[in-house]
Amino acid sequence: MLRAQSKYTISGTVKQRSSGETLIGASVTVIEKPTVGVITNSYGFYSLSLPKGNYTLLVSYVGYKQELIPVELTSNVMIGVDLSDEVVLEEVVVSSKRNDENLTTATMGTEVLDIQTAAKIPVVFGEKDLVKTIQLLPGVKSSGEGSNGFSVRGGATDQNLILLDEAPVYNASHLLGIFSTFNSDAIKDATIIKGNSPAQFGGRLSSVLDVKMREGNNNKYRVSGGIGLISSRLTVEGPIQKEKSSFIISGRRTYADLFARLSSDFKDIQLYFYDLNAKGNLAINSKNKLYFSGYFGKDVLDVSNFLGSNWGNVTGTLRWNSILSSKLFSNTSFIYSDYDFNVSFKTEGSEVNYNSNIKDVNLKQDFSLYPNSRNTIQFGFNVIHHTITPTKAEGTDIVSDKKGRKALENAVYVSNSYEASDRVKLDYGLRFSFYSILGGDTYHVYQGNALTQSITLAEGGVGKTYYNWEPRLSMNYMLNSTASLKAGYARNTQNLHLMSNSTGGSPTDQWIGNSYNIKPEVADQVSLGISRNFKDNAYELNAETYYKTMRNQIDFRDGADINTVPDIESELLFGKGRAYGLEVLWKKKEGKLTGWIGYTLSKTERKIDGINNGRWYNAKQDRTHDVSVVAVYELSPQWTLSGTFIYTTGNAVTFPTGKYVLNDMVVYQYGNRNADRMPATHRLDLSVTYERPARRKYQSSWSFGLYNVYGRQNPYSISFEENKHNPQKIDAVQSSLFRWVPSVTYNFKF
Amino acid sequence: MRNIVNLLFIALLFTGCEKVIDLDYKGNQSRLVIEGNINNEAGPYYVRISKSIGLSESGEYPAIDNAQVMIGDDGGHSETLVPQGGGTYATSFLEGVEGRTYTLTVVVEGQTYTARSMMPHYVPFDSLNVGQVSIGGDIEYQLIPVYTDPMVEGNNYRFVLSKNDKLFNQHMIQNDLLRNGLVNKLRLEMDDDKLDLQPGDRVTLTMQCVDAAVALYYTTLALMGDTGPGGGTTPNNPPGNISNGALGVFSAHTVAVRSVTIP
Repeated sequence: MLRAQSKYTISGTVKQRSSGETLIGASVTVIEKPTVGVITNSYGFYSLSLPKGNYTLLVSYVGYKQELIPVELTSNVMIGVDLSDEVVLEEVVVSSKRNDENLTTATMGTEVLDIQTAAKIPVVFGEKDLVKTIQLLPGVKSSGEGSNGFSVRGGATDQNLILLDEAPVYNASHLLGIFSTFNSDAIKDATIIKGNSPAQFGGRLSSVLDVKMREGNNNKYRVSGGIGLISSRLTVEGPIQKEKSSFIISGRRTYADLFARLSSDFKDIQLYFYDLNAKGNLAINSKNKLYFSGYFGKDVLDVSNFLGSNWGNVTGTLRWNSILSSKLFSNTSFIYSDYDFNVSFKTEGSEVNYNSNIKDVNLKQDFSLYPNSRNTIQFGFNVIHHTITPTKAEGTDIVSDKKGRKALENAVYVSNSYEASDRVKLDYGLRFSFYSILGGDTYHVYQGNALTQSITLAEGGVGKTYYNWEPRLSMNYMLNSTASLKAGYARNTQNLHLMSNSTGGSPTDQWIGNSYNIKPEVADQVSLGISRNFKDNAYELNAETYYKTMRNQIDFRDGADINTVPDIESELLFGKGRAYGLEVLWKKKEGKLTGWIGYTLSKTERKIDGINNGRWYNAKQDRTHDVSVVAVYELSPQWTLSGTFIYTTGNAVTFPTGKYVLNDMVVYQYGNRNADRMPATHRLDLSVTYERPARRKYQSSWSFGLYNVYGRQNPYSISFEENKHNPQKIDAVQSSLFRWVPSVTYNFKF
Repeated sequence: MRNIVNLLFIALLFTGCEKVIDLDYKGNQSRLVIEGNINNEAGPYYVRISKSIGLSESGEYPAIDNAQVMIGDDGGHSETLVPQGGGTYATSFLEGVEGRTYTLTVVVEGQTYTARSMMPHYVPFDSLNVGQVSIGGDIEYQLIPVYTDPMVEGNNYRFVLSKNDKLFNQHMIQNDLLRNGLVNKLRLEMDDDKLDLQPGDRVTLTMQCVDAAVALYYTTLALMGDTGPGGGTTPNNPPGNISNGALGVFSAHTVAVRSVTIP
């Protein structure tokens, strides 16, 4: 007679032995049952259910020594696992956590980047930069040289959900885009999901960039830092309760302007940024843990006494991890986020200040449920209260009656990762999002830019609510042990929109929520992919194609001055978009030479009423070809050589086609929108890192870099001017930014 | 914002470099260009009609001398303009009066083009102030037109600048969106590097009170000139007030002129 076997659960947390950092995405498999396996979640937690018996767990994580753990399973047990990273060669590629994870998981369009990878890749000014590294992946395009803005699969720069320990970051750049807000010393890893995100993420059309801060070493105090030509960093970390809890504080400041001011020419210019990351965790007991993480960053730009500006993000996250049972894991987060921008212009006797601001209070509840070894269910909800103040001018004689607009952005979701068979895996889920306009301001309704109605919502009242269902599905079919096919569909919606006249991450950009004119943006993306590994997973080839449609896209009408207009909504135009492309990523993951080659072939277009006579046109971020090559070569344990090469088609732009004279001035005539191309950009960057053999506990390294090795004048902008000698001739004048930028950085750790 | 970005790179000691490059331009569709002006000073007022040419062409702009051009106002006056040659047409008796709306009608090769513009009330141009800022060791001069904006909302001002009697090809517009009914203290927004004022330069500024459609036309031109970070506003033909697809603008405006010598 058959008897239902009783099952027991093994659960626990996987950590790094030396520091106690939890390991996200570590693989836990069972030797005796090769089909059973899970991956640790964002908090390093895993849970497995098996019938009574004797087993051996295999716990592994790339770059770490794997552990074999015998288990005699007669009841539910908690097994914490510490992995050692001391014996293994340093991995310097974009690492799949399990060597064949690209084959075995259903996730699509996803890359995980560890910070060691970013550290070895040359960047301008030598400041290692996570966002710059992500821009080297196929499907992710930098919005301009030196810019931290990026476009994913034809989306706009505001369509990326950038999370720092779950807190949305509204402006992820410093110094007008040259640096990202992420101090790599404080970052554990970053995951980019290009549209096919699981149902737990939502709120942006194109991608999720999920950045996790390090937790700090819970064994011993460590100090690390770096000194560069224009910036320095310092990080302190250590245990609060030994082996249980820890803290980390990391700060950065640039000082280019201090040197510049030594020259009398620049003595009245201030230009710098600083930022501070702090995180702490506290183990209440073996099942409950509290985390606090905070970020504070500010940019300052002052010129004499006539221009003053500063802008910055503040985020804070308080999280409570709780293992409710061996099969149910809970995370509750309270998140605060504030982005503020100020600029003031002074002339004699008068001053104008422009200010914009967005403040969020955010509650997020996520559960992970492990009912059996074939299913992992995630469900939860998210409530965000937004207070959004679009650009508001104030100053001498100017009183603005613009108010902060309030809104509630909510979502509930459920998803399941289902291992249907040895060959087939399915991730499916549903997200229901609803966005309500809250009272306290007057909303104007426009038809073709003419005011038709004004709606005043009383404080405490609720205005229009927009509802959206967002289905998500991705599946994986293993063809054999070295190849798999993937397919996915996802709908994403976006309720906050960036009003920007520029392509880079300009601080004057202002966010605006849905209103009676602005409807949620909706994107539907289908994608198909194939992955194949070679030579025992040493090489990996991933190819994906996608087709994406976008609704309720926003642009401005001609002549809109978005900083001074009383109601920006009167200046908006609406339409749709489409994007499609092919992305190929070939990685070499092992050996002395590691790195990748990425190639993207893509197209992205918009069709907006009132632009280009209502016909389809290229979006400005449309670039046909993008090639990136990243190589890291370990010459010896001390010396590492690395280089990147990029080639991209120029952005779609509008050049004049003709000219005429009006009131004795030459005026240019234009044809179709964005029918022209900037010249192509290509560039080689190199760097060399020398790691000095450690002296006692003191480790140090030198990095030397050269950006734009062959000094190409890459196009930044093109302007049209009358030739000085022959005014009838119009010259196209191209400006370039960086040629041959050397850098030196000294890093230390003790 | 252009200045801020330029300053940033100067401050970082990485001077961007510029060079003239060759580009392939898309074919141009030659279009009719109409320039009409009427102001509160004594006539004659002129209308110029020409055609646009390709960007890399260097010949003359084709003048249209066989058009029928008429201007009328809402007071019942109207006049057919007389061709002067070179595409120019002149009035002989029409008066430009504040508050009146003028209608321009042009018939060329069987096509009719019309435009309407209202001449706003005259606002006195009190003085032209010169402010100084030191940026990176250089003195930069700021031009501040002083005038008192009337209490009624929706006033727009266009400025035309000459340096040492040479016309400066940039478009400058101010309005009362932020400071209605007050004395203006704002500097003229322009590319200071291109104007490059030096002590001793004679600056002549014409202030025109223009209607909203004319202001939008010139604001669009001004925003396109601001290349900004990453390219700025996507350029396009500015929305003019002339029907039937003609380029250009018809402007009824008041005029006031001030001059100053840079100290």
